[in-house]
Amino acid sequence: MTSPRLAVTVNGRPYFLDGVPGEERLLDTLRWRLGLKGTKEGCRTGGCGACTVLVGGASVLSCLTFSHEVDGEEVTTIEAVGADPIGRHVQEAFRSAGALQCGYCTPGFVMALTARLKVDGRAVPVEGLLEGLGENLCRCTGYAAIARAVAEAHRRVNE
Amino acid sequence: MPPFDLVTPRSVEEAIAALRAFPPDEVAVLAGGTDLLLDLEGERADPRAVVSLRKLPWRTLDWNLGALTVGSTLSLRALETDPELPNRLPALHDAVRAIGGIALRNRATVGGNLGRSAPASDLIPVLLVLDAEVDLVGPDGERRMSVDRFVLGSRRTALGRAELIRSIRIPEARPSAYLWQRVRPANDISQVAVAVAFSPAHRSWRVALGGVPPRPTRVPEAEAALAGARPSASALADAGARLARHEALVTDRRATDEYRRTVASVLFARAVRATIVREGGPG
Repeated sequence: MTSPRLAVTVNGRPYFLDGVPGEERLLDTLRWRLGLKGTKEGCRTGGCGACTVLVGGASVLSCLTFSHEVDGEEVTTIEAVGADPIGRHVQEAFRSAGALQCGYCTPGFVMALTARLKVDGRAVPVEGLLEGLGENLCRCTGYAAIARAVAEAHRRVNE
Repeated sequence: MPPFDLVTPRSVEEAIAALRAFPPDEVAVLAGGTDLLLDLEGERADPRAVVSLRKLPWRTLDWNLGALTVGSTLSLRALETDPELPNRLPALHDAVRAIGGIALRNRATVGGNLGRSAPASDLIPVLLVLDAEVDLVGPDGERRMSVDRFVLGSRRTALGRAELIRSIRIPEARPSAYLWQRVRPANDISQVAVAVAFSPAHRSWRVALGGVPPRPTRVPEAEAALAGARPSASALADAGARLARHEALVTDRRATDEYRRTVASVLFARAVRATIVREGGPG
């Protein structure tokens, strides 16, 4: 059986993809078919958060999502998150806090935090934001700077 | 990952027909996929077809006074963020929040967690103490059974061929608590967990152990020892001692039996106290 055409909007641009097999994951479609290498492959088992993207505004682990499961949806990756005002605040917060060492986990943190701030808004305290990042790992263990970036993003969004 | 055809039926009838078209070991059901994908990646399952439930109208949540009915493909995150849940079924709120992280819970589903029936499922011990029932639909029509009867063992359920979990029903709001122990607090699975609830209708306690092989289990001997709405300190200690002797508290790769027994009795005492003091608690 041939796979149906996959229609998906990524970063505001519509794509119609033929020949995407049923077992292909969103992570691989983004990186290898669309060339969007900003989304990182870490553990490939849902344990590190490096591959986090937004689907319909909600954070999703793209390594645990089959591409055809997002047919008809809007996907946002790190490449376009800066076009969103809250995403821009989060990026600026990470930059000003120097919240990266090797940088591999950074796109996942930025996407997860952006989704949280967009979906749950200003009601979430900084502690809640930090707790919500529990599935994002930084193997450089640069958490102190990341925590400062989260507090800074919270401040900027609430200004 | 081995190749397969991903089928996306548009109705329940189509879904059942799609499942019937294959021998049971050659077809898998996909809800959120967060657990199934790991099996496929590890080649513990090698189906010819995977049937996605994403177009079925089962992402529902309905309260009827204190009773809750949740459609099987509702995301864990949608259940967790229901405004009534923390007050009416606090243990269920605790349990959902214990599963993975937010991005995982945005995809993972209630029915998926129950249907995959992992020994360390956080949901199942809580469904047990809430006397939850599961509504199934399949080639021979619909049937309802208790979650206790539905879960047969590790990764084994009473689900028949081409049968699907349509919804899960919880009969009443209950003061309750769910506590767990893990190597890491975030994004890990429980070594041992305790669910506790007090039924206002039956004026009696429900206790279950989680994180234990082969499946989460009710502990009737601890329930009986708790007796009334406000158990005495000695009744609580007696119930905890009975719980700690349960045969499910064994040594495996996640923890030793000694560790599980010690931690289970501590979590149990805390969970009962939390249930009593929670708003609307017994007595």
